[in-house]
Amino acid sequence: MTGARAVVRMRAVQAAFGLAVLVLVLRLGQVQLVQGDRHRAAARAERTEQVILPARRGTIYDRNGVTLALTHDVYHVGVAPNELADPQADVATIAKQLGLPRNVVRRQVRRAYGYFHGPFTSTQVEPLRHLRGVHLSGELVRFYPDRDLGQPVLGRPAADGRSASGIERVLDSLLSGRDGRAVVLRDPQGRRYESPSRRGAFPVPGHDVFLTLDAGLQEIVERALAEAVDRFQAEGGDVVVLDPRSGEVLAVASRAARGAATASAFTAIFEPGSTAKIFAAAALLLDGVATPGALVWAERGVYRTGRRTIRDEHPHEWLTLRGVIEQSSNIGIVKLTEPLAPAVLFGTLRDFGFGTPTGVEYPAESPGILKRPDEWSGTTKASVAMGYEVAVTPLQLAQAYAAIANDGVVMQPALVREIRTPGGRTVYRHVPEPVRRVVPAAVARTLRDLLHGVVYRGGTGQTAALSSYEVAGKTGTARRVGPGGYIPGSYTASFASLFPAEDPQLVMVVKLDDPKQGYARLTAAPLSRTVLEQVLGAKTGALDHGRLSDRRGLSLPGVPMGAGTVPYIVDWPPPASEPADGARAVPDVAGRSLRDAVRHLHRAGFRVRLDGWGRATRTDPRAGATAAAGALVTLFAAASGPGQ
Amino acid sequence: MGLWLLFVLGTLAWVVSRQTASVSLAEALAELRHQRSVDEAEHAELLRRIRAGESRAVLVPRARALGLRLPADSEIVILPAPPAPERP
Repeated sequence: MTGARAVVRMRAVQAAFGLAVLVLVLRLGQVQLVQGDRHRAAARAERTEQVILPARRGTIYDRNGVTLALTHDVYHVGVAPNELADPQADVATIAKQLGLPRNVVRRQVRRAYGYFHGPFTSTQVEPLRHLRGVHLSGELVRFYPDRDLGQPVLGRPAADGRSASGIERVLDSLLSGRDGRAVVLRDPQGRRYESPSRRGAFPVPGHDVFLTLDAGLQEIVERALAEAVDRFQAEGGDVVVLDPRSGEVLAVASRAARGAATASAFTAIFEPGSTAKIFAAAALLLDGVATPGALVWAERGVYRTGRRTIRDEHPHEWLTLRGVIEQSSNIGIVKLTEPLAPAVLFGTLRDFGFGTPTGVEYPAESPGILKRPDEWSGTTKASVAMGYEVAVTPLQLAQAYAAIANDGVVMQPALVREIRTPGGRTVYRHVPEPVRRVVPAAVARTLRDLLHGVVYRGGTGQTAALSSYEVAGKTGTARRVGPGGYIPGSYTASFASLFPAEDPQLVMVVKLDDPKQGYARLTAAPLSRTVLEQVLGAKTGALDHGRLSDRRGLSLPGVPMGAGTVPYIVDWPPPASEPADGARAVPDVAGRSLRDAVRHLHRAGFRVRLDGWGRATRTDPRAGATAAAGALVTLFAAASGPGQ
Repeated sequence: MGLWLLFVLGTLAWVVSRQTASVSLAEALAELRHQRSVDEAEHAELLRRIRAGESRAVLVPRARALGLRLPADSEIVILPAPPAPERP
């Protein structure tokens, strides 16, 4: 009996074991076969992590390779106080590296988890990397070595809910590259290691962009504009500098007295006033209605036509077309354009680019305003001839003047010079794009001559005149429009210039909004002169000094010209042994090198004109003769033999 | 049986050593990337300082303090480059 019960008990135990094994096998099957994928994924998720590898945004350079915007890593720092090995020493290290007061760090470390947003550079966090309890999280950020240089044009990439702007927006798809992805291993402490067995996609950096801007010129223009806005208490202003042959924008600055930084040179329009008279003159010359010598009676300053009275700032009697432009006579230009058909005036302005966007690589460029002739009232033609009832951006005005400088061919303005892949392969290079010929070369030359007269034949632009290299240009002082019409006593002062007057290399438009001194000849024209003077003395590639010296005819006939320049700062005031203003002796510089001779003459207080190349031979006035301070001394030079 | 065991152990050791080497290389790569990032940060900082140092906002006042000034246009004389020597 007892044996039988024992057998039953044994069987029961065996069955129970068997059942338990069966349950285990079934559960094993369920875990391994049915739920295997889920558990595998969960296990992988515990050990690994998929991360996005952000692509490095492309760098933006100026035309000479000066970095304007680049991308680099920055870090935010987290501290787990309970993991710190030596809290006292570690707090001191963290405070020192992050440049924070020690009590601030100590306060953070008293919390469960301290956090310092920063951002901090790699250099700052480098000593913290291996500190136990310090956790770094990195990100790529945009960095501008010169924070304000060309900022309205460069713009900003999209970030933190803010939309992109400027070049960063226009070229975003090229600059941003393609993000990569990777799987990293995680250890129990949460540290990440790249997983050698799981390949992701490598991030592809963005393309590098070379702009047409010249950083040196840009800085000159920005500083000069800022000073002018302050000095003239203007509401703001713009400066645009173009290379007339290529249409490339060399510098563009916009400034508002309230500090807003927008590229208003591309987006804000204004009535150009008298700076547009040269285009009415172009229409007259093109249509054969007038020649530069055509006479007009300027009505002694007041002209009534219909119900409208037109006035000149200074009364004139008889003026030629040349005189009308030089003296900026409203009456003269209105009377000269009376025989002109509205369609001709409209067509000329349209051909110069008014009323249509230039197509420069900038978002939201304004097309300006130029009404069709069938929308013109009885007074519109006179207004348009004087630069009213038409509105342009500073860039449009610069493009139109560049056409005059470029022998009558309108060029497409450009901001982007070159685009390169991260590997350095050029995928785009700007090629100058002629848009149309608007006037024949001969007419363009005549227009340049008229503009030269504005500066050098007693015109309104005399305050822009340089004494050694000639400038051509036109002033414009236009009444400003407010919500209720023209604002009394409020003007837009502008000056459009070509430098040098013959064979121009730079076209510059300067515009000041409501300067307190009002007239362009007192504000915009001197500002242009300041900029040009600084450009002449600066080491900028924007100006081809070789071509400038060629213009001045400095070489002996047949001697090839080069690009040698001597921009330098001279000691001032000159040595006290000489009277400051009186006559002084011309020093003997014969036999000296050209550079040395010029320096000696400058130090003696004379201006210098060169004739020839080589070693100094003589001067006119001759050495020892007395001449007034600031007098022009011609320095003759000649090659003195081979090898010299 | 012993040979099989040796083969399996050998294979496992080879896999482990490869994995270990890969992890070391990955660490070295991460270290290099970080070093590059440090160098780039230094480069950016130096660029900023150079640009600030060579800006006219800094140079012009210092030049003035030394008794120098920007030349007027009449004081700038552009010398033509010497003619290229004739090649025999």
